[in-house]
Amino acid sequence: MVNPIYIFILALGAGFLLTLFDKAGRKVSLTIFYAVLAAMVAISAQWLIALLGGSETAMIFTAGFKPPFSINLQMGLEEAIFTLAVNMLGLLSGLYLIKKFNATKVNAMVLFLMMIMGINGLIMTRDMFNLFVFMEITSIATFAMIGIDRDIKTLSAGFKYMIASGIASVLFLIGTIYLYRFSGMLHIDSMAVALDMASSQATLLAVFILLMAIVIELKPFPANGWALDVYEAVDSGVVAVIAAGSSAGMLFALYKITPLLNETLLLTVAGIGITTFVASNLMGLMQKNAKRLLGYSSIGQIGLVAGVFAMLVYLGYPINGKMVMLIAGGLFINHFVAKAGLFWLAGILNKENTEDWGALRKKPIYLFAFGAFILALVGLPPFPSFFAKWQMVMIFAKDNQFLVIAFILLGTLLEAVYLFRWLGKILESEVKEKIKVSFAQGLPVIVATLAVLGLGIYSATIVPGAGSLNIFYLPLLLIAALFVLDFLPVWVKNTLVILLMGFYTWQLLPGLEGYRFLFGVIFLVGGVILLIPGYAFKGKRVGFYPFAVMMYTGLAGLLIAENTLQFFTAWELMTLGSYFLIIRGKKAKPHALSYMLFSLGGAYAMLSGLGLFFSVNGNNLDLALLSSITESTSIIYILLVIGFLTKLASMGLHIWLPGAHGEAETDVSPMVSAILLKAGMFGLVVVMSAIQNPMIGNVSINYVLSWLGAITVFGGNLMAIYQEDAKRLLAYSSVGNLGYVLFGLTLMTHLGWLTSITYALNHFLFKALLFLAIGGVVWRVKTKNMYEMGGLIKRMPISFISVLIGIIALSGVPPLSGFAGKWLTYNVLIEKGWVLQGVVLIIGGLIAFLYCFRLIHTIFLGQLKDNHRKVKEAPLPILIPQVIFMFAIMFFSAYPNMVLRPVGDFLIKYFPQGAINWQNGVAFTAFGHWDGLGVLMITGVVFMAVFGWLLLTNRKTQKVGQFNIVYAAERPSRPELTHVGYNFFAHYRKALGVLSKPYAEKFWDGLSELFHSTADFIRKLYTGNGQTYLVHIIVFILVVYAFAMGG
Amino acid sequence: MGFEPIKILYAVISLFIIFNVGMLLNGITRKIGARVGRRHGIRFYQPYIDLVKNYALRSNISHGIMFYLGPVFRLTGGIGVYLFIPVIYGSQYFSNFSFAGDMVLVLYFIFFGTLGMALGAGESGHPYSALGIGRGLAQVTAAEIPLVIAFLGIAVQYQSLSITEIVGMQQGGIMNWTMVTNPLITVVAIIAFLGSMMRSPFDVVLAPQEIPIGPPTEFHSTFLGVLQTNRAIFPMAKTVLFVNLFFGGATNWGILILKAFILYMVSVVVGTVFPRFRVDQSIRWFYKYALILGVIALIATTFMFK
Repeated sequence: MVNPIYIFILALGAGFLLTLFDKAGRKVSLTIFYAVLAAMVAISAQWLIALLGGSETAMIFTAGFKPPFSINLQMGLEEAIFTLAVNMLGLLSGLYLIKKFNATKVNAMVLFLMMIMGINGLIMTRDMFNLFVFMEITSIATFAMIGIDRDIKTLSAGFKYMIASGIASVLFLIGTIYLYRFSGMLHIDSMAVALDMASSQATLLAVFILLMAIVIELKPFPANGWALDVYEAVDSGVVAVIAAGSSAGMLFALYKITPLLNETLLLTVAGIGITTFVASNLMGLMQKNAKRLLGYSSIGQIGLVAGVFAMLVYLGYPINGKMVMLIAGGLFINHFVAKAGLFWLAGILNKENTEDWGALRKKPIYLFAFGAFILALVGLPPFPSFFAKWQMVMIFAKDNQFLVIAFILLGTLLEAVYLFRWLGKILESEVKEKIKVSFAQGLPVIVATLAVLGLGIYSATIVPGAGSLNIFYLPLLLIAALFVLDFLPVWVKNTLVILLMGFYTWQLLPGLEGYRFLFGVIFLVGGVILLIPGYAFKGKRVGFYPFAVMMYTGLAGLLIAENTLQFFTAWELMTLGSYFLIIRGKKAKPHALSYMLFSLGGAYAMLSGLGLFFSVNGNNLDLALLSSITESTSIIYILLVIGFLTKLASMGLHIWLPGAHGEAETDVSPMVSAILLKAGMFGLVVVMSAIQNPMIGNVSINYVLSWLGAITVFGGNLMAIYQEDAKRLLAYSSVGNLGYVLFGLTLMTHLGWLTSITYALNHFLFKALLFLAIGGVVWRVKTKNMYEMGGLIKRMPISFISVLIGIIALSGVPPLSGFAGKWLTYNVLIEKGWVLQGVVLIIGGLIAFLYCFRLIHTIFLGQLKDNHRKVKEAPLPILIPQVIFMFAIMFFSAYPNMVLRPVGDFLIKYFPQGAINWQNGVAFTAFGHWDGLGVLMITGVVFMAVFGWLLLTNRKTQKVGQFNIVYAAERPSRPELTHVGYNFFAHYRKALGVLSKPYAEKFWDGLSELFHSTADFIRKLYTGNGQTYLVHIIVFILVVYAFAMGG
Repeated sequence: MGFEPIKILYAVISLFIIFNVGMLLNGITRKIGARVGRRHGIRFYQPYIDLVKNYALRSNISHGIMFYLGPVFRLTGGIGVYLFIPVIYGSQYFSNFSFAGDMVLVLYFIFFGTLGMALGAGESGHPYSALGIGRGLAQVTAAEIPLVIAFLGIAVQYQSLSITEIVGMQQGGIMNWTMVTNPLITVVAIIAFLGSMMRSPFDVVLAPQEIPIGPPTEFHSTFLGVLQTNRAIFPMAKTVLFVNLFFGGATNWGILILKAFILYMVSVVVGTVFPRFRVDQSIRWFYKYALILGVIALIATTFMFK
């Protein structure tokens, strides 16, 4: 085993000799330089392997003395991990900078080595003064490396850096001196034992000063303006080392002195860290400069790691225990890899403005890398931070630290805002130029991508409850395979996915029981059917199938989830997959962003709820225990329900839906609308079947939700009638329709749930049908504005029939299946007595007639436009599923008992009272009756009779041309003049006045504006003036002192 | 009370009676309207003449399949609504096909014809048709507000959705009629009734002065004949429904026709006296007064019949 001291010996030796070797040529010195870096990696790696294999922690004593008289280095598991990470970073960054090293003097290489070595020292040393020395070495080397590009910006940044690190050094030294005075030693481990913290205020002060030195180096808000300037100005290869590597060293220093900290100081660090996390992510909102933005994110992430770590220690988790490793370690390594990768990418692109990163689109591998880093930073599966965050929430919830959870999730959400906005911008922008990526610059990014993925999968195996995550292994493998196979033509991949999903469905469905089976049909059978339109696409459709499969994996995961970890992972996979499906739409970028943010917000509410659930049920992940909890039931209920309502797009939380569903691609719209929305319903069913009738005081939560459901129906449908865009109209209609679903569930009766499920099933069928039909039309006519269409019945008759069947089922007009829902609604209203909500709900339902008519009239009836005279019927792959759904609707309409009776049977398990009594297909309730087949037959017979009568009396019918109408003796020649379509229900808007205003959008816009302007205001702190920054640091220390030591 | 083949015969007879009552009422109404306006007016049997004339016309033009089917949908809707209502209480054979559904079915079947007609008129490509439909649908949804509330109200009151049962519970004298037992809901229902009868002040949909005859603009000859047939049956079907739900129903044809006549005349009188609302005015009127009154009535009903 190579002694870890060789890391230093090699680095120092090479540092001294490189100048000499450089005389023999740059190639020689470069070779030695990389050899040393590689050797450092090898030493750390070898120790890590050995330590994982059970070796003892190595203690190295220099000069043959025992501490405190000698310098003591330590190589334990933590040190091995950190040094390996830092040395890898050094090697890769060194590689990345090869061009720079070729071009500049040999000194650059020397300084780089010193920087890496300094960080290694920060990690390994156990001696306080030695720590100071390594801090200085790192600082000075860093300062010099900052100036590798010689311009005014780096010069000024370097100067500010020196101011800050100078103060930190001074403080550190003062602290060390006093601690030495009080304890009589410099060895960190012995010092903690020797000092009696409680006894002396002076000791505490000394520790405080020492701590502040490290905290300043960790860039706390607001004393971090200098760091931002450094991040912005310095070369990407160097800044990757500073952002990831130096921070790693300082974090490790914090880790080491933690035993010295008392509870107050731990809380202080936690407070500073989490405040920094929230504040810098808030300020990131307004940032356009790519590297400065990454700087904000870095500072925030470091704050998060430090804060969470301090909090965990404060809560009594052992400093080197599994929880600290998993949570703080997971968050750290996640940030470390992702941030290094992002800074490297920033250098490759060399674009200051985040909006100019579109060139990445030409490089799928790097785009993938960028996406992976972003997702890792936000904390989505399968990345380490996801599992860290999950475990963190569980732990903090267990210890009732809900405020901390709230702040951290808020900060994460803010970070998600600017990171996903950035991703969206990239996917949206026009690619003007190409970028060239050299091997030396590309390799580090690729290694980082693989590392972050690998670490994520590793985290998935160590998080408590990891065993249950095996349900995702095969699907994730398939997703990975699909990424690799993405070069195949679309029909091959489509066939492959249909076959695999079909097989999976075949395997899974029969094993599902009760409502899970029902949702299985919607999620998976529906999913397979909705993959058929994929055949209409040409080319490769890069990036579609992996994410489609990811979404369906999530949906299937929900069905089989038995514990909360599985459930939440499935939920996030589903969100992630669907986000990337939605964002494919041409104008979908901003809407995909708001979808993602609402989803994340909802998911965090859910996560908090699951955390609380974990804490009250004896720290168990089992989802089935939801029905047996007795404490905090209402709060858990509310948090979980908020999560699901976001997905269900209830009024107020719906504003993401119209854009996201309306702007998505032809086959994505039906997937997300007909299928994905039901995931929210599935969640509600899970929660509501477990927790029955929760109350806040005297108010039943379900009663409040029933009003929300009713208002959602009204609001969603009302907004739908004002839309000019056909797909948005359908999207708003979904909002309304899921209001019924929510309302039905809140009734908590047999009939109520039956109503809800009937609506859900119907909505699944007709919305898939309608979105496909309209999608087919849009496919051909290339516009979504209804008033630009008209008269298409003659060109697209099958699509017309689809829409006709769809709107009849939607509006609830007998004899089609939609009426089942309406009929049940009246029955439950009478049964439950919630008639006032019923009025709102039913009026909302009536308004649906308006948009149904508008949809079919403005597109298919009226006057055919000149440019559509040669439009063809929609492609066959889009028509086939429509036919399937039409048959399904007709079947449901004729034999409602075949569908509703089994549903009723399993509902008896939850609600034994009030089931429907079926007699030969006729449904009887306590109040009324309905014969689906009878109505269909009577209507059919009467229709045929009248039709026959008309045919009989109407002998010679002559078909006339389009413009042959009674029009004041004129013959209009332009269809636009006589096609009434635009602003069709203007009178309704006028009549309803204030009711028609989009209040929810105003609210969220206002909130967003508030955050952005606050961010803009706060970041005025950062003037760019070194003296101001100095004042920040001093004031910061004084304020923290007042807070922490004031009492 | 399931289906028996003989019921078809009785249903046809019932339909024939109600068609003729409707035709005569249409004629009489126009006569009254003319006399109030100091005109002589038409002969009361003029609608028959018009109908025969329209069916006899030979020249026919069509704008397409939906155009052709529009009137068929319309009349099917009218006849369907009528057929789902039990007409004569206690009569096995004049209960029509009410075994197929309850009053929710009737309520929603009203839209069958409306939507079908809207589609047919839409295909004609005439802007006035589209305008008329836009107005018509908007106003119908608004006018349905009091209707829905009234239906909910009596469903709460009688704890039933079955028309036959509701009529049954009103038997035994005028004191048992909904009109007496729950006057507020009945007022709301009358408002809904006025809103759905296509008479002033809610007749801007057909508004002859502003848009020449609205949705049916392009329909003529046989098509118009079918629509006219519906205009006799459909309002009568609605009237019979209201008679059943609020005015004690009828145990024989005489009483039915009498009650229907009186109720029908309410809409005629109001229509003759009041001027017309613009469509946005009528929508707002329903959303304001009808809704507020309806909610009050509904709350009162839930308290009264708990």
